[in-house]
Amino acid sequence: MAKESTKNAGDYFDELRRTRVWRSVFRSGTGSSTLHRALAIQQNVFLHLFPTKARRRMASFSATWYLGTLTFGTFLILVATGIPLMFYYHPSVPQAYADTKDFQFVVSSGMFLRNLHRWSAHAMVFLVFAHMFKVFYRGAYRPPREFNWVIGVVLLLITLLLSYTGYLLPWDQLAYWAITVGSNIASAVPVLGNKIHFMMLGGNAVNANALLRFYVLHCMILPLAALLFVAIHFWRIRKDGGLYTHQSEPATIASKSTSTQPAGEAAR
Amino acid sequence: MAEEKKIEKAETGPDFDRRGFFVRLGLGSLSIAAAGTAAFAYQFLSPNVLFEPSPIINAGKPESYPVDSVTLDANSGIYLIHAQEGFFALSAVCTHLGCLTAWKPELNIIACPCHGSKFSVFDPKKTPGQKIEGPAPRPLPWLRTWVSDEGDLMVDRSTDINPMQFVRV
Amino acid sequence: MSDQKDFTAGMDSNARKSPRRVVFVTRRTSAQVKVTDEDQIQTYPEILFRAVVAIEVLTIALVLIALRFNAPLEGLADPTHTPNPAKAPWYFLGLQEMLHYFPPVVAGVLVPGLVVMALIVIPYFKVNIEADGLFLKDREKRLRIFYIVAVGLSLFLLFPKFDPRVEEHFYVAFVPTLIIAGLMILASRSSPQSSSAFRRYLAARPLSYWVMTWFLFELVVLTVVGTFFRGPGWGWVWPWQPY
Repeated sequence: MAKESTKNAGDYFDELRRTRVWRSVFRSGTGSSTLHRALAIQQNVFLHLFPTKARRRMASFSATWYLGTLTFGTFLILVATGIPLMFYYHPSVPQAYADTKDFQFVVSSGMFLRNLHRWSAHAMVFLVFAHMFKVFYRGAYRPPREFNWVIGVVLLLITLLLSYTGYLLPWDQLAYWAITVGSNIASAVPVLGNKIHFMMLGGNAVNANALLRFYVLHCMILPLAALLFVAIHFWRIRKDGGLYTHQSEPATIASKSTSTQPAGEAAR
Repeated sequence: MAEEKKIEKAETGPDFDRRGFFVRLGLGSLSIAAAGTAAFAYQFLSPNVLFEPSPIINAGKPESYPVDSVTLDANSGIYLIHAQEGFFALSAVCTHLGCLTAWKPELNIIACPCHGSKFSVFDPKKTPGQKIEGPAPRPLPWLRTWVSDEGDLMVDRSTDINPMQFVRV
Repeated sequence: MSDQKDFTAGMDSNARKSPRRVVFVTRRTSAQVKVTDEDQIQTYPEILFRAVVAIEVLTIALVLIALRFNAPLEGLADPTHTPNPAKAPWYFLGLQEMLHYFPPVVAGVLVPGLVVMALIVIPYFKVNIEADGLFLKDREKRLRIFYIVAVGLSLFLLFPKFDPRVEEHFYVAFVPTLIIAGLMILASRSSPQSSSAFRRYLAARPLSYWVMTWFLFELVVLTVVGTFFRGPGWGWVWPWQPY
């Protein structure tokens, strides 16, 4: 055996984490103590929306089937695929159709990105409905969570609008006529119907103005609105006392002490 | 020989526990995924089709260019020059920062309006395109010129050639 | 400025000597009060890792689907040529099915508007929060109201023809209504002491459950019909019939 211990990649990484530069960026350091784990949440700008602790029953799969998390997951996939799609898409008529065709034949990974975006969109609409029904049948809308339910309904509408505006962007027959039918329904609103129809399309028919408006709605306004309401939704969960749990729901996580430290960590 | 056959089992393989194994497995897969994503992202971001005009320019019949003439095609950014020795083409894009230069016949130079670079054309003591003064770092490049099968002058904007190669018609 | 009448025994700043009532929790109106002491776990890593794994599984499933199936793309948009049938995205097909029977004001504006409003106000009704079995209290009165509503809804769906050109009655929406009404009648004849677990379960379902389940059932049936059973001219086709 060698006289001095050989260093491996993990040791170099740990040394890196002890440098001043690293410590200036990631202040709380790593460790598996309860304090470290709490700090990992509380010191993180994105994660400190969540509480550092949660009731054990909230993590049970059979309670929620993780539908809310999965809906948010599809939203993340849609953003991650949608932004690259914006690099090759011109929201003008008829270039939009040519660009969509290009995704299938010309752009590297274009077909995959477009497919993933489309199927994730369908999945998100399905999941958001499933999430709503699951929350309802659990009774998780009851006080003090009423307002969060309303936020959820708003998010449902935003999801449907996102899907609807995105549907027009390929500018094919499917898109054009689906949106024509849909916007004509909007003109059926009494009194204001025609005005709404005109403002929605930026004109009297589905044409270049409509495409551009739907593009701006789909890529900028509605995603920002969704992010805003998702943030409020998560915040309200926390402030209303965490996820609702039935008395009868099992605590699925095996009981284990959170304060044990593996021997290796204690040496650091 | 006999000593080498004694293999101590304890020395074979690195020692880490099950958790360490899974951590390495996880990190390894993540790095492979990240590398793959980076490769595909790079491929995705470099376009395979450009919405730009072809770099090959058809300059027309040689007869339309009188001797000692310098003709600027602003759309494609080239000078078609019919010198005593023959035809050649210079890039009209200034080698400093990309402005479109201008032919000044009264001064017998090509001048750039942006920062004052000047290039010679018909000066017998200098190569056409050579810089006379100004911040431009390089002379105006000569572009590949040839005569097509139909007898048209053709210029390839994307290919530089060594100077003093004239096309005789 | 301050109303003297509202201050009762709470004037003293020493809360231990003169306690002030802050909240009065009525029976079953707050979802919080049951469990007071419960085990807690760290968000990181317990909750976060579960969420990350769930999202990873979802991503893998969607990536596999995206690699296998292509998103549809038809011909260039042509304002002069309407395809037959011109279908909305699948989540609006239930609405489009309703448009077949009702004028756009009803099917496109009224019904969705009422649905959204009904969804929003669910948690603000005491009857939804208490969530007692529907027929376990005031049985006779509620049964009467139920029959009136059920019959009225069925007549509404079956008989009035808003558009003389539409031959069919709204059978598609009538069938789920019939099934749910049947289950509700069974619930009214059950009690927490019924023999089968199913009937005990039904007896305990509150009004909000019945309304929501009816809505879910209608949504699914109308969407399935709009997707698979509607062809050119929005006429009835069987799913295996090509058109």
